[in-house]
Amino acid sequence: MKKGSFLLPVLFLCVWQLVCTLGLLPPSKLTSPLQVCLGMKDLLTQGMPPGFLLPMHALYSLERVLYGFSLALLLGVPLGIAMGGSRTLRNLLYPMVNFFRPIPPLAWVPLAILWFGIGLKSAAFLIFLGAFFPILLNTCAGVLAVEPILVDAARTLDASRWNIWLKVLLPGSLPSILTGIRIGMGIGWMTLVAAELTGVRQGYGLGYMIMSAHDLQRIDEIFAGMVAIGLIGLAIEWCLARLSKSLLKWK
Amino acid sequence: MSRKRLAAGVFLILIASLVFPSKSQPGGQPVRMAYLQNDLHHLALWIALDKGFFIEEGVSIEVVGVFRAGAAIMAAFGAGDLDMAYVGESPTTIAAARGATRVQVLAQANTEGTALVVSRSQSSISGLAGLRGKTVAMPGIGTVQDFLLRKALRSQGVDEKEVNIMVMSPAGMLTALQAGQIDAFIAWEPYPSKAETMGIGRSLVRSRDIWQDHPCCVLAADQEFLKARPLDAQAVVRAHVKATKYIREHADEAVAVAMKYTGMDEATIRAALKNITYTTELSLAGEEEFVRFLSLIRYIKISDPQTFMEGFIDRRFLQGIRP
Repeated sequence: MKKGSFLLPVLFLCVWQLVCTLGLLPPSKLTSPLQVCLGMKDLLTQGMPPGFLLPMHALYSLERVLYGFSLALLLGVPLGIAMGGSRTLRNLLYPMVNFFRPIPPLAWVPLAILWFGIGLKSAAFLIFLGAFFPILLNTCAGVLAVEPILVDAARTLDASRWNIWLKVLLPGSLPSILTGIRIGMGIGWMTLVAAELTGVRQGYGLGYMIMSAHDLQRIDEIFAGMVAIGLIGLAIEWCLARLSKSLLKWK
Repeated sequence: MSRKRLAAGVFLILIASLVFPSKSQPGGQPVRMAYLQNDLHHLALWIALDKGFFIEEGVSIEVVGVFRAGAAIMAAFGAGDLDMAYVGESPTTIAAARGATRVQVLAQANTEGTALVVSRSQSSISGLAGLRGKTVAMPGIGTVQDFLLRKALRSQGVDEKEVNIMVMSPAGMLTALQAGQIDAFIAWEPYPSKAETMGIGRSLVRSRDIWQDHPCCVLAADQEFLKARPLDAQAVVRAHVKATKYIREHADEAVAVAMKYTGMDEATIRAALKNITYTTELSLAGEEEFVRFLSLIRYIKISDPQTFMEGFIDRRFLQGIRP
């Protein structure tokens, strides 16, 4: 990360703290950054609800996201490649995809509970819904974006169909697939709070933690919980960005 | 006049009636009221609305929200969107203790009226100790039901961590119990009675067996509203007292009103009402117990319970003292 990229967040925090210190907004509406830090300390030492500590909440949430995201990856990439390769399949699936894509995961909550019960399966299903479409559509777009001239060139060199896929189409579409994976992971992580509305059996989960903080009117811990979700999301994105950089070294 | 014109005229009138709603209730500015979804504890509110007690007392009521749990009502108070509400004493205590909302309690709505129900398929569970390792649903952290569940488990020497306690809306509890996704739930009436009439659950312990005469729902008000419009608050309390008396004296009529507002069957309502005690009397000892136990389970931190309670419970409205 460049030095300059820290400037804006620091400025943002200063303005936020100033607004609170000057009393422009009451503490019951906006908690100051310093109080959020204290809330974070409480989340780490006391837990919310009391006894349920932040690291465990994060672990359970990551598990849910991992399940949902993996499923989206396993289905989204192959299907996206197939759609990119076949016009018939594209024409067949596009209307369906565009119908289901805009339905918010939150709207699926009652059905998820009905079909998959309360717990991991429901949560993973909702996260899958969030992550699947960006992966699918970016993969498909990636295959379509490979310049036809490259495919033609390979053909004139007598490359087999299999080789065209393996050596031209897949590498060519990889940047777009990786973008889809990063967006899918981001949206999957965003879906977390909705996913944990399906109920958490073990009493752990970042979304559930925030809702408990709301139940007990701990505004500082609501903010701290959001900060935790944001930081973990940032860390995941950083890892994926590194991964995609090393995968695309040949470019 | 052509048909088109007629249609346009009707349309305009419809729009106008939407934009400028007519005031059907007497009095000045209405009191903005909220209550909990399908909770029989605030039957007095439904009675007072249905029998016109508020109008008789010269105050108009606008129901601005029906909420799933007390915490959401407290958030609405904090946002300045509510004047008064029928809500659990526990979430109200928590919000006031946290300083998140400036609310006061003016009257009791009911005592008791909660039950812990276990699934019919769990025939081996005969007491609270049998809940070890089971999944028990409750309506929200810090609700009266959460409070009672933890109190009950502790009294039987069961560590809360041995039980899978999960948060769920009461309506969801019925389907979850039926589907075998939870083993038991604790909720306000009529949900426990509904589980019994549906044949999917049996009452394991009623809240009066956990804590006899325990305070439950209260009539709470925003302090700014009390300062600005004390007479309206007084009128609401008078209607509330009248309605509570009405429930005790006209049992059948109360059942009919309860059925009308909850949409539930008569058998369920009759069973549920047996489990609820309707009273307007505030109990200081009861509130002290809330403050003590909520502090014990680290939901709140109150250094001086006595001072807190003096600011929290305002009996003047109930006693008819002119505020």
